[in-house]
Amino acid sequence: PLLDKKKIKLDPVRQGEIVVNEVNFVRKCIATDTSQYDLWGKLVCTNFKISFITDDPMPLQKFHYKNLLLGEHDVPLTCIEQIVTVNDTKRKQKVLGPNQKLKFNPTELIIYCKDFRIVRFRFDEAGPESAKKVCLAIAHYSQPTDLQLLFAFEYVGEIYHNPAKKVNGIDPGGGGGGISSASGQQTPLFETYSDWDREIKRTGASEWRVCSVNEGYMISTCLPEYFVVPSSLADQDLKLYSYSFIGRRMPLWSWNHPNGSALVRMANIKDVLQQRRIDQRICNAITRSHPLRSDVYKSDLDKCLPNIQEIQAAYNKLKQLCVNDPFDDTEEKWLSSLENTRWLEYIRAFLKHSAELVYMMECKHVSVVLQEEEGRDLSCLAASLIQVMLDPYFRTIVGFQSLIQKEWVMAGYQFLDRCNHLKRSDKESPLFLMFLDCVWQLLEQYPAAFEFSEVYLTVLHDSARISLFGTFLFNCPHQRVKESTEFAISKNIQLGDEKGLRFPCVWDWSLQFTSRDRLLFHNPLYVGKSAPGVHNGALRTFKRSKKNYSSTLRGVPPAIKNGIIGEQEFVPRRNSLILKLKPEFLHSAEGQSHSMEQYFRDWFAKPVDLHGVILPHLSGTQIKLWKLCYFRWVPEAQISHGGSITAFHRVSVLADEVDMLNRSLRQYKSNSSLPGHCSELDQSRMYFRANGLNDTSGTPDFLSSSFPFSPVGNLCKRSILGTPLSKFLSGAKIWLSTETLANED
Amino acid sequence: MLCRNEHSVMHENTISVISTSAGLLSAAASSLTVSAALLGCRGTALEPGPTCQAVGRGRAVNIIRLPCLCGEGKIKMSVLNSASTSPFPAASPRWGRNGRRAGVAVPRPGPPSAGPGPAFPRGPLGRRRRQVTALGAAGAPAGWAVVAGPGAAERRETARHPGGAAGTMERAAAAAGPAVEGGGVSRRAVRAGGAAAAGAGSRQPSTETLDSPTGSHVEWCKQLIAATISSQISGSVPSEGVSRDYRVYRRPVIREIQDGHNGYHSEAEPDQALRDGNKLAQMEEAPLFPGESIKVIAKDVMYICPFMGAVSGTLTVTDFRMFIKSVERDPPFVVDVPLGVISRVEKIGVQSHGDNSCGIEIVCKDMRNLRLAYKQEEQNRLEIFENLVIRAFPVSNGLPLFAFSYKEKFAVNGWKVYDPMAEYKRQGLPNESWKISKINSTYELCDTYPAVLVVPTSVKDDDLSKVAAFRAKGRVPVLSWIHPESQATITRCSQPSVGPNDKRCKEDEKYLQTIMDANAQSHKLIIFDARQNSVADTNKAKGGGYESESAYPNAELVFLEIHNIHVMRESLRKLKEIVYPTIDETRWLSNVDSTHWLEYIRMLLAGAVRIADKIESGKTSVVVHCSDGWDRTAQLTALAMLMLDSYYRTIKGFEVLVEKEWISFGHRFAMRVGHGDDDHADADRSPIFLQFIDCVWQMTRQFPAAFEFNELFLITILDHLYSCLFGTFLCNCEKERLKEEVSTKTVSLWSYINSQLEEFTNPFYVNYENHVLYPVASLNHLELWVNYYIRWNPRMRPQVPIHQNLKELLAIRTELQKKVEDLQREAATRSISSSSDRGSSPSHSATPVHTSV
Repeated sequence: PLLDKKKIKLDPVRQGEIVVNEVNFVRKCIATDTSQYDLWGKLVCTNFKISFITDDPMPLQKFHYKNLLLGEHDVPLTCIEQIVTVNDTKRKQKVLGPNQKLKFNPTELIIYCKDFRIVRFRFDEAGPESAKKVCLAIAHYSQPTDLQLLFAFEYVGEIYHNPAKKVNGIDPGGGGGGISSASGQQTPLFETYSDWDREIKRTGASEWRVCSVNEGYMISTCLPEYFVVPSSLADQDLKLYSYSFIGRRMPLWSWNHPNGSALVRMANIKDVLQQRRIDQRICNAITRSHPLRSDVYKSDLDKCLPNIQEIQAAYNKLKQLCVNDPFDDTEEKWLSSLENTRWLEYIRAFLKHSAELVYMMECKHVSVVLQEEEGRDLSCLAASLIQVMLDPYFRTIVGFQSLIQKEWVMAGYQFLDRCNHLKRSDKESPLFLMFLDCVWQLLEQYPAAFEFSEVYLTVLHDSARISLFGTFLFNCPHQRVKESTEFAISKNIQLGDEKGLRFPCVWDWSLQFTSRDRLLFHNPLYVGKSAPGVHNGALRTFKRSKKNYSSTLRGVPPAIKNGIIGEQEFVPRRNSLILKLKPEFLHSAEGQSHSMEQYFRDWFAKPVDLHGVILPHLSGTQIKLWKLCYFRWVPEAQISHGGSITAFHRVSVLADEVDMLNRSLRQYKSNSSLPGHCSELDQSRMYFRANGLNDTSGTPDFLSSSFPFSPVGNLCKRSILGTPLSKFLSGAKIWLSTETLANED
Repeated sequence: MLCRNEHSVMHENTISVISTSAGLLSAAASSLTVSAALLGCRGTALEPGPTCQAVGRGRAVNIIRLPCLCGEGKIKMSVLNSASTSPFPAASPRWGRNGRRAGVAVPRPGPPSAGPGPAFPRGPLGRRRRQVTALGAAGAPAGWAVVAGPGAAERRETARHPGGAAGTMERAAAAAGPAVEGGGVSRRAVRAGGAAAAGAGSRQPSTETLDSPTGSHVEWCKQLIAATISSQISGSVPSEGVSRDYRVYRRPVIREIQDGHNGYHSEAEPDQALRDGNKLAQMEEAPLFPGESIKVIAKDVMYICPFMGAVSGTLTVTDFRMFIKSVERDPPFVVDVPLGVISRVEKIGVQSHGDNSCGIEIVCKDMRNLRLAYKQEEQNRLEIFENLVIRAFPVSNGLPLFAFSYKEKFAVNGWKVYDPMAEYKRQGLPNESWKISKINSTYELCDTYPAVLVVPTSVKDDDLSKVAAFRAKGRVPVLSWIHPESQATITRCSQPSVGPNDKRCKEDEKYLQTIMDANAQSHKLIIFDARQNSVADTNKAKGGGYESESAYPNAELVFLEIHNIHVMRESLRKLKEIVYPTIDETRWLSNVDSTHWLEYIRMLLAGAVRIADKIESGKTSVVVHCSDGWDRTAQLTALAMLMLDSYYRTIKGFEVLVEKEWISFGHRFAMRVGHGDDDHADADRSPIFLQFIDCVWQMTRQFPAAFEFNELFLITILDHLYSCLFGTFLCNCEKERLKEEVSTKTVSLWSYINSQLEEFTNPFYVNYENHVLYPVASLNHLELWVNYYIRWNPRMRPQVPIHQNLKELLAIRTELQKKVEDLQREAATRSISSSSDRGSSPSHSATPVHTSV
């Protein structure tokens, strides 16, 4: 082996990051059927990531896209899915859990990552003992027994202890900067009263108010401190009602339609005796907050959408399909297998149901209540999708981030359990990914309606697997406060007035990417167009007036009351037992179903207003697999010189030219005598820039369908007819359940 | 932005149409009630497919254009006066009430000609399309052109450029001509091309509103026909003839007009009457190409559309097309099908009303079936069926294909696109190892090869003849492509006649050795046998076979395991079953899987990638053959060349590729497609060329910026593979083509395409000059080509394609560029020095573009 004893430098160690263990002379396997491309280097396990530092520095990628927190071969510990150790001479293999013993010296380590990467190391030349130690260290640190053992705590603790040493300029208190620091846009985090109040004003929800009864999490530990309720409900009543809701999760307002209809999410009422009364009171209050006093339409998500276990099962199958099977020789059944995962079917179900609720709000002018047992899983997804379809603000970057804050982080989506950061949860479910996938479907169908690109969505998905950002670490806002206060006390950190520690925020993208790389988040089709009302992601508020109401009002209430939606489908005045609601309500009433069809038909027959409502196409050919997200690490799936990025490149260049012209036009108009202002001309919002006007230069060589991700360094087959990956791994198939392998050591 | 404008234009136009023909419609609606009700319960039928709407609107706008062009209106009327012998009805609402009450089709004023009888179609109509060009300037006939203009594509253009620029209309007319196919379909192609991609048509009707019919489709159609006919009968159909000869047709028309308009026709409004009558006349008749003539017109024919239900209209059969138009829908409904796509015409029984009703099922080669129903009362009504059969299968009936009658003139002569000498010169041939041989100039060496061949320099003609004797059908190994640097070559041939006794041919062995030696970079020759190993063995028993490694020591034989033409035909048949007319959404992907269509596409692409890789990375020459070397061989060599040579990825280059690897090297187009032949079960038919185009499309999907042409280009090629409008895909080999004088007696498809290149240009195209493109030949990167295979389904419309946005950006840029230049000029005149160096003249404009990405 070509072992050159160069000084190997570790990536700049982050605050609080410590090297736990390391081993030299490790071979990272690249191809399954040959070792000629393998890399030699040092495998390092820290309390944040595993790192592979090559002996020969890797040639830099021609594009300089990289994550500032992670090297090319690094895997954050929270991104590790499964660790398999193999001794090929003894023909033994073992899936390593935490605190387990390993009775053999591993010759090989295979790490399956949550982002669908497979990393394989060989220890043929390494010291057997140190190889074993590294494997055990990785197993131990990637499966912490306690939340406070996650790296984010270590990091934040260090920052609080040494406030002067801000590594990489990370300010732990930093709120959510937008993508470009220049715009100065901050993502509202909805932690404060004022953020909610602004949202009320933005959406014109005049009959709604911010409620502070949960300040200090006095009522519910899984609700935010501030949330929005109908103005007609008094705090006192709310407190009283709260006991009847699961988790004391009172109804939460999400959003208001310009026509006055509200989107509300609500947990089930567990108190059977009180159920009817409370339900009625709540619904009456919502009705009273509607300018038309329209009825409330309830959708029981548990009954019409797949549950989290089903979604997890679909995800597991998808993972198997995308990583293990796609390039087998016998791939003729690939489409059937894809269908059998049911992933796309569930995507369609969410999009479809959300579109139907959009119809209720948009066309029927009724407020919609999303009902779910705890109201913090499916409702996060449905509420977000509805808003993305209805409100163009949420299709901007800042808007989208605020939506995730509002409907996921603050509403108590259990990121810790659902992402399974501690690897012990049986409640894992990729709802957040499914949401991003649904948004990707819309982005794919209406590319010019979104300010962000699919790279942005992919990177957002990855960020949930980096245990540094407080955004995706906790099950609810209260958990952050509670855990970090405990942690602070144990570490002797003075918190002062702060409620818990401040963790880095994922929306501060400068922590992960340079400003140039962040340009890849911008969708050239959106930016390139002069988008009225959404310039530079500026807030777009609905123009509302009393006049508007009256014009939309005409003729509406009779239509509703005349049984277009069957009486029992609405929150009934007399009989309000939720259990009696039919799950397939939308199809039960002939007349209503017809008018919904009519609505969709009319909508699709009209030109799309990209800054208005958008509705998804749902046919079998139009719901697609998100290839960038699922295939980017599979080298065999990479189309070199190709992929939609080549079209993206072309549009970017063109958008840049348009920008350039706009700027020079402005320059001429403002002051034609001063040809200066070159600084302004240098600013581009595009990652790919034009070399002057009418740029005819070709597509850059480095573009591929996985751009900007580089699957180099991940396990692959060398040739089309090479050994199938699954055969090669001979039994150590991916994501074996721990039980089946437990006895094999 | 742009598209929004366009839409507003469209909507306005549509509305105005409705106002003029509303009465007519309401009456028309009644005759359809029964069938509509029946359809309604099926869920599908009431879906007013936006395609149809869009198309209809197109038609509608044709009429609407009248007011915009009122200058021509008068001229046109005077023409009518002189040409028409019939008085025309008054306002259309009256028409509706009166004429329709009896359930008859709208009393139509007859063919607007009425005058010179049979000569007419070749008269004004014949010139129509050219006159569109001369719109406004050409006097009387121009009015005609405007009114009966060819349809949706044109409408879009007009909507886009309300000024009605003659040039655009011409282009649109040309596009609508050959491309137009039924119920708005190939309009979609045109639109997909982007003329108005963001238009109303570009959206799906609703999210999930359609049910698929439960029972078998055949059963469903039978019921439908039965119900349709019963509704006709119950509507007390008058004794009006349904089908009659063109000449015969005129008499009842006159009578009809008298009947229908007694008491309504007012002398006070002759102009109005004329105009309306004129509209109606044109509303029901087919647009004609130069050289095209009407053979039958039949009215009250029911077209049973699987997507929008039964429509009653007038059927016109010409020597080129079958055209159904119904004005009872608003906008009018049109099915326009070139007869060339018809594979089979069959009568289908209608059980319940066996007395005199009749159904026809027309199976098409382009993934759809059409069903017609009509009342069969008199003897002569058989003519519909018989005429259709005769015209659809001219070859079987001793008639010439329409391509030989087509008289269109294009600015460009497509027959000049491919010159073998020029193409070989482009490749750097001849060189010291390869010569251009004239040995086959009289097609004696091989009657299915072109006259010009490239063979190794050192090979003697005598030896070549011996090689030819050893190779099936005399198809000796000849050069298709040579790598400009490594000199590695792709050569193609047929299988060697090894036979069961392992026959050898010294000259053949030496010949292959010479091919290998011509490439100094490698001491190996790879022979790709496209077939399955087992099939090649079977062939050996039948006298064919493959090169044994003992006889060809330096050759490596690789079987690509691609199935034969019969398997491909069966696969496409299955594909049609799952896409037409309805789609099972829940089992969509597994259904696609079950056809194996994409799997076969994958195998072809994978094979071509291996060939290209051997040439490019291995610098090794390859020989490609299957059995005869005209199906799979052509697919593989053409695809490999497309991957290796960026020239073939331009429009011109692709035309050359098709001319060279397919047409000149004797892919048996006539046989594989079955041009004009009624033997639909012919085992020689197979969608080999379609498969190739599908592979090309897959590549354009994976490399959206690498091809100069767009999706419309590929769809247009496929449409004219069947249409028999152009001579390009006629006959089986060069020798035959020469004998039939195809290049002098027919028009080339490339004439049509190259005279409107902007329609077929991919706006994303950037120069990939020195790139070899390796598509990922894996099922997870292959997609079903929805825009081709499922284009008849109005629900499967493409979304707002990304190129639409690109187009807008291009338009914005042009506009801005102009402004900046103006300001610069202004600044310059004020003698303020401007340091800016930009501002070359705008070379881009908002051209209609077509790819969807």
